[in-house]
Amino acid sequence: MAELLPWLFVIIAVAAMLGGLASLWLSLTLALSDEVPGVARADLTSDARLALLTEKEALLQEIRDIAFEHDAGKLSDLDYEQINAKLRAEARHVLHELDAGAEGFRDQAEALIAEKLGEAQ
Amino acid sequence: MPALDIPFFGTLVLSLTLISASYTMAVAIGAGRGRPHLLPSARLGTYATCALVVVAVCVLAYAFQVHDFRIRYVARYSDRSMPWWYLVASLWGGQDGSLLWWAFLLCGYTFFVTRWLRGRYTELQPWVLATLMSILIFFMVLMLFAANPFATYIRTTPGDGEGLNPLLQNYWMAIHPPSLYMGFVGWSVPFAILIAALITGRLGNEWVRAARLWSMIAWTFLSLGLLLGCLWSYEELGWGGYWAWDPVENASFMPWLVGTAYLHSVLIQERRHMMKVWNVFLLALTFFLTIFGTFLTRSGLIASVHSFARSDIGQYFVWYMAFLIIAIAALMIWRLPKLKADNEIESLVSREFAFLLNNWVLLGMMVFVLIATTFPLLSQWVRGEEVTVGPGFYNKWMVPLGIVLLFLAGLGPLVAWRKATGSKLARAMAFPLGVGVAVALLQVLFGARFGYPPVVEPTEIYDTTTGTVLAWMSAVAPLVSFATCAFVLASVGQEFWRGMRVRMRRGEGAGTAVFRLVSKGRRRYGGYIVHIGIVFMFIGFTGAAYDVEQEKALRPGETMAIGKHTVRYDQPRMEADPNKRMIFTDMTLLDASGAENGQVAPAKFIYRTHPQMPTTEVAIRSRPSEDVYVIMSTVDPSTRRGTFRIIIRPLVAWIWFGGIVLLLGAILGMWPTGGEIVRDAAARARPRRFRFSPAGAIVTLAIVLASVMAWAGVAAAQDDTSSTLHAGTVVINNPTERQLFARLLCQCGDCARLPLDTCACGWADDKRVEVRELLSSGVEPSTIQESYRVQYGAKALAIPSDKGLDRALWAVPVGAMILAIGMVVLIGRRWQRRSVEAHAEASVRTNDELEYDSRLDEELERMEDA
Repeated sequence: MAELLPWLFVIIAVAAMLGGLASLWLSLTLALSDEVPGVARADLTSDARLALLTEKEALLQEIRDIAFEHDAGKLSDLDYEQINAKLRAEARHVLHELDAGAEGFRDQAEALIAEKLGEAQ
Repeated sequence: MPALDIPFFGTLVLSLTLISASYTMAVAIGAGRGRPHLLPSARLGTYATCALVVVAVCVLAYAFQVHDFRIRYVARYSDRSMPWWYLVASLWGGQDGSLLWWAFLLCGYTFFVTRWLRGRYTELQPWVLATLMSILIFFMVLMLFAANPFATYIRTTPGDGEGLNPLLQNYWMAIHPPSLYMGFVGWSVPFAILIAALITGRLGNEWVRAARLWSMIAWTFLSLGLLLGCLWSYEELGWGGYWAWDPVENASFMPWLVGTAYLHSVLIQERRHMMKVWNVFLLALTFFLTIFGTFLTRSGLIASVHSFARSDIGQYFVWYMAFLIIAIAALMIWRLPKLKADNEIESLVSREFAFLLNNWVLLGMMVFVLIATTFPLLSQWVRGEEVTVGPGFYNKWMVPLGIVLLFLAGLGPLVAWRKATGSKLARAMAFPLGVGVAVALLQVLFGARFGYPPVVEPTEIYDTTTGTVLAWMSAVAPLVSFATCAFVLASVGQEFWRGMRVRMRRGEGAGTAVFRLVSKGRRRYGGYIVHIGIVFMFIGFTGAAYDVEQEKALRPGETMAIGKHTVRYDQPRMEADPNKRMIFTDMTLLDASGAENGQVAPAKFIYRTHPQMPTTEVAIRSRPSEDVYVIMSTVDPSTRRGTFRIIIRPLVAWIWFGGIVLLLGAILGMWPTGGEIVRDAAARARPRRFRFSPAGAIVTLAIVLASVMAWAGVAAAQDDTSSTLHAGTVVINNPTERQLFARLLCQCGDCARLPLDTCACGWADDKRVEVRELLSSGVEPSTIQESYRVQYGAKALAIPSDKGLDRALWAVPVGAMILAIGMVVLIGRRWQRRSVEAHAEASVRTNDELEYDSRLDEELERMEDA
């Protein structure tokens, strides 16, 4: 082991050096070109929707949790009804926004598809 | 590679890394400032930078293996006789290498976070990469200009190295620093996500969700690092304890405290969109404290038993910390309007408020530790007087705070989110409180009979009213602690029971109910399991109140009795390897009937490179009820007569067991839900059978690493036996001596911070004899303490006095905590009032969108079935 170990470090170092330099070269090539990869642009447009989905998931989780806490006897009936109504109202609002946002998202998706098809032709 | 000039090549790689990291940061900033086409370029640059750091680490590791003593760092921390595994561990054995190791771990995290970010959080992503690169740049600058691990000797190259410090030549060196560093460095990722959120202004729950997994991983590794640090201290430093409140230990404890506060308080933000400023502050403070901790560890500014590596890099850290404070404060002020809470607390009787109290205690503890750790420095600056703050101070103040924290760990689960009525809470608390009171009664009635009396002898650290109050608090601490442990266990047990009952009412069997309860609520129940682990650890900590210690000189065949044990000294024996000579003393443990009950072999090691530093290796026989901790102080080769110190440490094993439970709970809590993994895979939707899930891969990797480290640590703790201590004897005859010796520090010059009730060097032994004579001639302990202070200065006392500026040591944190609790209650009440008004408005706005309600029900059912 003691004899092999130095060579193991040499092999890892050489592989890492080659990989690192290749990545750096690719990175420079990409940075210096003006090409705008479609994936990057499409990703940007999804952030707002992702935030809404995250919000929806958190609200659903909370609705589930307070139902559980009510069943476990930690929340009174009155408190549960009030909190549940409030959370559901917030969740409905998020669903509404998601529906509204999907329209624009569809337009963008269609535009990107058209762009890609245009490139292919 | 052998033909290469390795030192030059290593420095060249470091320089290349600095250039690559700077380039990547610039490109990432460009991507963040409206040029999205630069993002893939930044990602590739990140991978390239990480690869270059791997090259640098491999070059240094190679230099160690081939004994390239042209490199100063290699010559100082290794020698030709060291086995290959210590040569690998030497990478982080000294300062320069540990900085490179820090950079390496940061790159490991950066690589995985870059992989994980692919295709998500695209607005945050460039700034996350830029922040991580900026941290790496700092460490690269540090290495290139102040602590280059590839620096060479100016004149002659030594024929052999100086060798690694014997204290570091053990398996702990291989696992403790890496795990602690994994914890320290890990906080860089959530910090980078936070900075990205502040810069982009996306301060909703998005960044919190993005940082969740990474903060859990960092917290888990930091917890593991602390646990392994305790084991290392217990087995290797050999003074009989596991935590000495050394500045370096404190440096790793402080981010843990604040990180724990963050993990609790961020739950409030996730659910209620509240406390956004507070969470930003906590996360930024946690990261800051990791840098501050490294500064304390590496600058040598404060005396520490961990002073294996010091230099003048402190000024770089000071500048970096100043930059961090200014940058974070500026970003927070800029984004204050976006950090406004969307909701208010609805009731002071709620889980949210329990978490606020938990934050109050954790931050209070952090302030205590911070002030006590830096007090020697402050005293030196303000009044030019050196002082020392020893473990006695911390133990007296931290025990009551720890018990309050433990109580909150039991109270929190009982309180509902948002709003709990008094009667519901009283009903929920009845059983756990009953169990706590029952355990207290049992201990009062029968504790003494089984060796666990409810009240122990009070020891005062001050001769003032404060000292008396603290002494009585610590005297009743075992009773309160055990009762609180029982309360928390009952509380968590009741939570599992109630949850199981709810599911059983839906028609599930008991086993299925428990399984689904935990699998559907991993985060919640993982947290509860962490609380159980902490209870077990507290049981172990409480056992320290019942330690018994004795020292005796024995000839082969003679025995000594301690507690219910008898220990027989059999014979000395000598062994040797290329690195050292080892003198073992074989001993046999006997039970009450005289039958043999186990073997131990404490030893003394004499290293070839450090013959002037013979080390004492303790032997430990560990059982759930107690550890038998045996130290061989001296052995005479001609007469074979040995001097042995034996400590019986009840319940210590519970600390390690509790630590394992805590880690399992943390792993359960951070394990991604099936849905998350499926979404990860679906997002990539690759046309192949195996779909890579970054979230799953990251957690799996973290678990594998943590398990390997924990297993190695605990397995070693069970087996053995090696430990290191400067040889000598400690004899304490009565409580007065113990109290006084604990207040006086050894002044031999080599045993910084060790009090006379622990230090085993010859100087300390002579001083104990001198003090004992004074006591027997009727001199008051306070007079002896004062004359010791006059003779050696204020720094010779383990705890500063309770007057003048010294009083600030406890008065400032206590004052801050009182002020903070007042503010917490006031803010809570104000929020509560606002919430009532807001709620009235909200209910007016609510409309009946039946379609959305049915969609919600469908989604809830889907969640339940998932």
